[in-house]
Amino acid sequence: MPGERDPLPALLREFERLHPGVTVQAEALPWTADVQHQFFVINLEGRSAGFDVLMLDVIWVAEFARAGWILDLSDRFDAAARAEHFPSTITAATLNGRVWAVPWVMNVGLLYYRRDLLARRGWAAPTTYEELARQALALRGEGGIREGFLWQGKQYEGLVVNVLESFWALGTDVLGPSGDVLPDPALAAAALAQRRAFITDGVSPALVTAADEEVSRREFGAGAAVFLRNWPYALALFEAPASPVRGRVAITALPGGGALGGAHLAINAATRYPTQAWELVRFLTRPEAQRRIGDAVGLHPTRPALFESPALLSIFRGARARPVTPWYQTLSATLQPELSAAITGVKPPARALDDARGRLRYLLLP
Amino acid sequence: MIARGERRFGLLLAAPALLVLGAVTLYPVAHVLALSLQRRVPIFGVADWVGLANYAFLTRDPAFWNAARVTVVFVIASVAVELALGVAVALALHRQQRWRAIALALLLLPWCLPGVVTARTFEWIYHPTSGLAGAVARRLGAGAPNWLGDPSLSLAALIAADVWRTMPFVALLCYARLLGIPGEVYEAATVDGAGRAATLRAITLPLLAPVLLMVALFRTLDALRAFDLMFVLTGGGPAATTETLALFAYRSLFQTLHLGYGAAVSTVVFVLVGATATLYLAAGRADATR
Repeated sequence: MPGERDPLPALLREFERLHPGVTVQAEALPWTADVQHQFFVINLEGRSAGFDVLMLDVIWVAEFARAGWILDLSDRFDAAARAEHFPSTITAATLNGRVWAVPWVMNVGLLYYRRDLLARRGWAAPTTYEELARQALALRGEGGIREGFLWQGKQYEGLVVNVLESFWALGTDVLGPSGDVLPDPALAAAALAQRRAFITDGVSPALVTAADEEVSRREFGAGAAVFLRNWPYALALFEAPASPVRGRVAITALPGGGALGGAHLAINAATRYPTQAWELVRFLTRPEAQRRIGDAVGLHPTRPALFESPALLSIFRGARARPVTPWYQTLSATLQPELSAAITGVKPPARALDDARGRLRYLLLP
Repeated sequence: MIARGERRFGLLLAAPALLVLGAVTLYPVAHVLALSLQRRVPIFGVADWVGLANYAFLTRDPAFWNAARVTVVFVIASVAVELALGVAVALALHRQQRWRAIALALLLLPWCLPGVVTARTFEWIYHPTSGLAGAVARRLGAGAPNWLGDPSLSLAALIAADVWRTMPFVALLCYARLLGIPGEVYEAATVDGAGRAATLRAITLPLLAPVLLMVALFRTLDALRAFDLMFVLTGGGPAATTETLALFAYRSLFQTLHLGYGAAVSTVVFVLVGATATLYLAAGRADATR
């Protein structure tokens, strides 16, 4: 857990005071998601009981559940308790009707925009990508604004997230209800073609094809763009005292909703202390603990009751889980190069998606 | 003639070493070969023998062919540029009298850096808005190239980074060989009226050839398993234009855990590396007997 004022140690000591005889040891994880995933694969596939409670990325829950690495929490985490969390976080924790993890901290993709620029024209924040593109083109070039809409188009998980959000805006998804890959190829291709058009039409600069969160955040933070798709962490940076865009940025929901991110807590299936582990999960996901952890790492609670700002609450309510499947890693790794090929113009969108589907047909198993 | 008893004793002495070698080479190779004949996703308990299905899919997998093409282009371009620049730098060093020690030390620096540090450095050099390479390009009136996001530039950008990092290796080995060429050879050439170009062609390069061949072998085998620069800088993108076979195999083996398919890819890389090494060694033998 990064950050100087890491609240975790204090929370763990408090838990120990409330549960005499139990000591909790925190173990730091590697920094990047890929390496964390590898750490868990090695330890959990080896049925190691070296840790009892684990923090996992929302996109891993289904995979870990199918692998038999984490305990089914459906009975302990009952319907009433689940209802206290945003529905999208429960969706991400559910596989085959069972719940495998408890939502801990939450992230959601959202749209940052230059309030001052839109206000000057008397425009409201865009609610569709078409409207966003029109506003971006109209405002680009005004008063030092070089760019319209910034997003994450580098070949990595972030690109999958951005394209998924475009899919959702058009009413389609990567997986259909019965698990079929790319159920509406035409709609998916249209969404991807729109992303490509953002670049060719000048709505988005060419640099988005190499941009991750930080590259795009810095560019927008320097006052160079009208719109930015990013996670909530950037808001505090834009409002920092020395920020060139301080007081000029507002947030709104992405058209079609933003992708859910964040972390859940689960229990190692090999644990020798399931009861105590469950107590700890419950303790750490309480409202008070969620708020402290969230504040420290720039994430948010998974409980609507903890939101004071109605604007933020409505954005978080609109969060959508990425496809919940044990094969998410394969799905994403296969899509990444093809989506990148489509937005850089190397392949027409329909062919890129066809190629991805061809590979997935061989790699995905029931 | 060695007596039979002596030979047997020799084999006995060599046995532990052979055993260890077998354990760390033959066994893993056999294991990977066996894996490549299976559909194997251990975390989900998937383990089925599928014969050559993985190889059959590989032959029609566009992503595999793309990775193969990227790897071949990367190997040929980076090794060629490294050899040419390396020889040039070695010749310049050889002629240099003053500051030679400092030049040598500076030359060594890029080669000493860990690959990931090099990659992170180039990440800043190629930064789309505040990178050094972009600033230079703008100064030259070439606009603001999107080095790592433009499919027509990305591989070249990575080759440049690789050349920066490994050219010194080529230069140093060539320089060492140049030091070993006796001065009398050059004096004789001058007496015979050979110009600089003729001396380079008739003396220096032929004498460098064996070293160059070794260096080329090392560099080619290294480039064939290129991984760290692309992993850190581009993740194989954009549009998989920097996805080498090593990165492709990594994705199958460690990221998505399709061990069977990943093993098939690794086997192909293994054969490719073996064939390349054999070719080089044959060329070396031909050169030696000439």
